Amino acid sequence: MTRSITLGQYIPGQSFIHRLNPRLKILILVLILVLLFLLETFGALLASLAAALAMFALAGIPFSYLMRGLRPIFYIALFALIIYFFFTSGGVVLLRIGFITVESEGVEQGLFIVARLVVLVLFSLLVTLTTTPLSLTHGMGYFLKPLRYAGLPTEEVAMIMAVALRFIPTLMEESQRLMRAQLARGADFETGSIFRKAGNMVPLIVPLFVSAFRRADELALAMEARGYRIGARRTRMHEDIITLKDWGALALVLVLVALVWAFSL
Amino acid sequence: MFIGTEQLTHTYMPGTPFATKALHDISFNFKQGDFALIIGPSGSGKSTLIQHLNGLLKPTSGQVVFEGKNIGSDKQELLRLRKRIGLVFQMPEEQFFSETVFDEVAFAPRNQGFDENEVENKVIEALEKTGLDPNELRMRHPFQLSAGQKRLVAIAAVLSLNPEVLILDEPTVALDTAYRKNLFDLLTGLNHKEKLTIIISTHHLDEAAALADRVLVLKQGELAMFGPAVEVFGRREELYSLGLALPPVTEIMHGLAEKGMPVSTSVYTLQEARREINKVKRRDRS
Repeated sequence: MTRSITLGQYIPGQSFIHRLNPRLKILILVLILVLLFLLETFGALLASLAAALAMFALAGIPFSYLMRGLRPIFYIALFALIIYFFFTSGGVVLLRIGFITVESEGVEQGLFIVARLVVLVLFSLLVTLTTTPLSLTHGMGYFLKPLRYAGLPTEEVAMIMAVALRFIPTLMEESQRLMRAQLARGADFETGSIFRKAGNMVPLIVPLFVSAFRRADELALAMEARGYRIGARRTRMHEDIITLKDWGALALVLVLVALVWAFSL
Repeated sequence: MFIGTEQLTHTYMPGTPFATKALHDISFNFKQGDFALIIGPSGSGKSTLIQHLNGLLKPTSGQVVFEGKNIGSDKQELLRLRKRIGLVFQMPEEQFFSETVFDEVAFAPRNQGFDENEVENKVIEALEKTGLDPNELRMRHPFQLSAGQKRLVAIAAVLSLNPEVLILDEPTVALDTAYRKNLFDLLTGLNHKEKLTIIISTHHLDEAAALADRVLVLKQGELAMFGPAVEVFGRREELYSLGLALPPVTEIMHGLAEKGMPVSTSVYTLQEARREINKVKRRDRS
C-alpha cells in the first residue's frame, strides 16, 4: 500500500518554520524577496545565505533536498555567469583570450546575481518544503480576497485549487496502478515512434478519465451532502490563527528590510 | 521451487522521508498446481507481494523466483514471463478501455504478437472458460455489463494468454454472494481441469478456505505464517488476533469439539461438516 504521496515537496515536521502561519509565511517570503533585491553588498548577501541555511537546519530538512531544489536553476545560473563574465566591461582585465576579455566588474556582478538567485530559490524552497500545499493555497486564497470585489469568485477558485491539489497524488497513484495492471497484460508504454507511443497510452488514459469523472461525481455528491453551497461562507476546521510568534517573525523581517534599506547594505 | 520469493523486502519511496517498508524478509514457495491463498488484514502488503510475482514491482532486496530462476529485469523476458504468469488486479474492471468485450479480451494476446485468427480463437476460448457466452457478449460495450460479468470479462482478459499461473488480487471485492460462489467454482474448475496454479489474495476466508492447498499469512508486511492449509487454519487463535476469521462452519465445529464431541475441526464446507457430524452420530448409535 503506498501511503498517499504529498504533492510538491512538503516534508512533515514540527519546527517553528513548519508551524508559522501560512498567510504570514507567504507575506514574509515576499518581504525576504524584496530584501534580497535591496541588498547591495556581498557581505549582506552572504549573511542572508547563512540565514537561509540555518533555517533549513532548523526545519530539519536533509541537505539532499536543498541540492535537488537548486538543480533546476543550474543552467540559468551558468548562462548568467557566462553572459556577465564575457560581456560586461569595467575594472581590471583578468583574462584575455583573443579578442574576448574577462573583466573584474563582470565577474563581480555575475557572482552577485547568481548568489542572489541561489538565496532567492533557497528561501522559496524553504516555504514549499515546510508548508502543505493545502495551507499554501488557503494562504494565497486569503491574499486573493480583494479580487472578490472585482467579481472574481475567490472562495470557489481556492476550493478548486485545493481539490485539484488534493487529487493529484491520488490520480498519480492510480495511473501507476493502471500502468502496472496493463503491463501485466503485456502493454508496452516505452518502445515505438511517438505516434505509436501516443496510441499505446489509450489503455491508460481511458480508464483514468473514467475514474476521474466517477470520483468527481462522488466528490460533488459528498460535498453537497455536507452542505457545500457555492457562494456560502465557510468556516474552517483548522483555524487560521496568527500567534504572537508569527507577528514577531514578521516584525523581525520588517526591521531587517528597514535596516538594509536605510544603510544600503 | 515453482513460484516464490527469497528474503524479499520492498520499500516504497526509498531514500525519502516518506519511505515505508511494505514487505520485510518474506520467503515462501508455492508448488505447481497449488491453490494458494495469501491472506492478511488490509494494509498488510498482499497487493505489493502479488505484484512482485510477475515482475511488476522490483524487490528492494531479495529475490522472486519462478521455476528455480530469479526474475530479472530484461524486458523481453518479462513480457514472456507475464504470458505465463497472469495477474488479475484488484477491481480489474476499472482497467477497461475498449469499446467491445472482444477488444478488451484481445488486448493481451495482441500485445503478445499473435495474428488476428489466433487472437480470435484465444478470445473465444477465454470467454468460454469463464462461462460467458462469446457470441452474446463479444460486441457488447464492457461498461454495460453487470458487475459480475465485468469481473469475469476482466479475468478472461488475462486467461486469454493461457497462463500457467493465475494470480488474483482480492477477486471477490464488491461482488455479491452469488457471483462470489460462481467465481470460486470457476477458479476450482481452472485449478482441477486446466491444472492452473492459482494464487489469490483475500481477507475473506468463507469460500476460499475449503479450496486452499497452501496458505501464506501476512502481518504488517511480515510473514506471519506459511504452510499447508490445515496447518495454518489450525492456528485459529493467532488468525483471530490478526482479524482473520475462519468460515462459520469451522467455528461451529470448533464449538462442538470444545463441548466434547469428537469431530475434526479442519472442516470448511457444509457438506464436510454434515459428513463429520453424521460419522459421530453413527458411532454413538453403534
